[in-house]
Amino acid sequence: MADLLAIGNWLLPLLYLVLLVDYGATFFLRMRTDARSPYLVVVVAAHLAFLVLRGVHIGYPPVTNAWEITSVLALATAGVYAWVELANRDRRTGVFVLLLAFLFQYTSSMLLAGRVAEPSEVSPGAVGMWARLHVVPALVAYTALAFAGVYGLLYLLEHRGLRRHRFGVLFDRLPPLDVLGPMAWHALLTGFVTMTVAIAVAPLLLGNGGGEMTAKVISKIIAGSVAWVVYAVAILGRWLGKWPASRISTIAVAGFIVVMALLTVSGLLS
Amino acid sequence: MAELSVIGISHQTAQVEVREGLALASDEAARVLAGIRAENVFDEALLLSTCNRTEVYFVPRTEADPLAYFLDHVARVKGVRPAAGADIFYRRDDADAVRHLFRVAASLGSQIVGEHEILGQVKDAYRLAVEARTTSALLNKLTHWAFRVGKRVRTETDLGAGSASVAAAAVDLARHIFSSLEGKTVLLVGAGQTAEAAARVLLGSGADRLIVANRTLHRAQQLAYDLAHETIDRAAADRAAAEAVGLDAIPETIAKADLVITSTASEEPVLTWRDLAEVLRTRRGAVLIVDIAVPRDVDARLGSLDNVYLYNIDDLDRLVRRNLERRRQDIPKAEAIVEYEVGRFGRWLASRQAAPTIRLLQQHLATIQKKHIDRYGKQFSQADRTQLEQFTQAMCKQILHTPLAMLKELSADAAPSERLAAVDLVRRLFDLDALEEDQAS
Repeated sequence: MADLLAIGNWLLPLLYLVLLVDYGATFFLRMRTDARSPYLVVVVAAHLAFLVLRGVHIGYPPVTNAWEITSVLALATAGVYAWVELANRDRRTGVFVLLLAFLFQYTSSMLLAGRVAEPSEVSPGAVGMWARLHVVPALVAYTALAFAGVYGLLYLLEHRGLRRHRFGVLFDRLPPLDVLGPMAWHALLTGFVTMTVAIAVAPLLLGNGGGEMTAKVISKIIAGSVAWVVYAVAILGRWLGKWPASRISTIAVAGFIVVMALLTVSGLLS
Repeated sequence: MAELSVIGISHQTAQVEVREGLALASDEAARVLAGIRAENVFDEALLLSTCNRTEVYFVPRTEADPLAYFLDHVARVKGVRPAAGADIFYRRDDADAVRHLFRVAASLGSQIVGEHEILGQVKDAYRLAVEARTTSALLNKLTHWAFRVGKRVRTETDLGAGSASVAAAAVDLARHIFSSLEGKTVLLVGAGQTAEAAARVLLGSGADRLIVANRTLHRAQQLAYDLAHETIDRAAADRAAAEAVGLDAIPETIAKADLVITSTASEEPVLTWRDLAEVLRTRRGAVLIVDIAVPRDVDARLGSLDNVYLYNIDDLDRLVRRNLERRRQDIPKAEAIVEYEVGRFGRWLASRQAAPTIRLLQQHLATIQKKHIDRYGKQFSQADRTQLEQFTQAMCKQILHTPLAMLKELSADAAPSERLAAVDLVRRLFDLDALEEDQAS
């Protein structure tokens, strides 16, 4: 089993890389733009199987540290995108979302290399009910905010291209602004709501043996609060100040960078 | 005698005055086809008539001169004989005729290469021919194959990408901002010809409300009425889909517009920063402003507002030139697709000859015979098994006798369409295409 997990840990980033090349060809060479991709479903299924096997082998759900969570995020990002693609039959934005999934999985695989089959030291509180109530919405929030960041970035690229009269590859390939803008906005809203739940549960988790006030936890609280405030400002600005989609998209990108910094710092401190 | 031919004229061989004489409206084309069906000169016929080409694809039945025959029918329907000499007509036979139709469907033969209308026109021509019952096995297969070629070229190359006119470029830009033009309002400022064309294309692409602003209110009313009745649903146009205002009402009306096209002859900007900056800044949603006028109608500073996408005639011209260049670069790729499909169609047609079908049918029966002898033969002695083989062989020959005789007879005497239909039926009955694919792989 340990060998199988080690192979899987190396194989997953490669599978995502092949996906990335495939979707890159769709975006840049306009190949099979409306075709559904069975390969994407295969990669998602393989990733899910890897996580289940690893969970069975180490004896707990592999979501106890930042690098394990990063792998789950890769799966969630690819899985949600697979669902969106199956529903819309449009592969054009896949390369951007799957780039994120690849980076998540690459980071996770590199940092888990050599100890993928070894369980980490996990306190009982970290895998209890409060942990689940914190981790599940946090994962949904990370995924949704990743989507908001990607679609926000695409919106900004197209918006600037149109304003500067640049008729390049992005002009040809990207969906219209009033598709990208609402996608970024709805993803941001979903991410904000689930992030709020995760933050609200965090003190209860800490109070019930889910961890101690270490530097890692403090860094997560600070970065999470900053990100939450950034998103809250965007939502209020949109509702009360009728902020334009370009500003919301800028905040979605900035917020995503903060969230990524949160994950990185928390990972480095673990 | 060729199995399939095309004769016709196009923008490459004839001037517009000549093409006009041969252009056939739908009802005229239907009458020509009805006339052809009543006689036995063409076994099958398909008539394609657009503003750029008039051509007839046919499967000849007799040695009669097809051009004279076709011109006679056109003359009968139009009442006068077209003033066209034989030298301006082209004729292509067999694989060249197939290639010709595939190139037409792929828009490689169009005046503006990559234009989108031609595939629809080929489909209309086919519908007319089906209604007139002048198509059969060969043209049915060929035309459907041509649809697929047209679609392949469209999806796999940049031949049809982007807009090829200033009017279409405005729609192209609008589609990068709005996912759908339905429910969108077009404000047309001035009454220039290009702006009018752009408004017409936008309304034809789904925008369903029009406001015309002009110095002369009467002219604005007239233009609003004409454009709305031409492009928008008549009932909607009568309700309130079209509106006319004076130039002084622009600040109030621009807040309602999603797409603005300006084309006045004014020496000074008509859409000024002072009048419109605040209105545009506080409006909800994006607005696309296309300024086609020279000198420009729109104060360039308005383009700095976050929700305003402002383009002038040079921007549109640059977009059109870029699109045409992209199309030109993809012509070899499109030609390669056409050539590949011509080869495939040729192989399909060859497989519909009687001889290979007879051979396949014999192989098919021999395979079935061998399979069953292998399966049940073990229950018999060697002598009985030999007899069993002879018995089943004789039975297979007997079964095949009538279909093979029919195929040989068709091959010698029947019209290509009749032979194709019969061969096709035999191949489908015995699933010979699958067998052929197995052998090829």
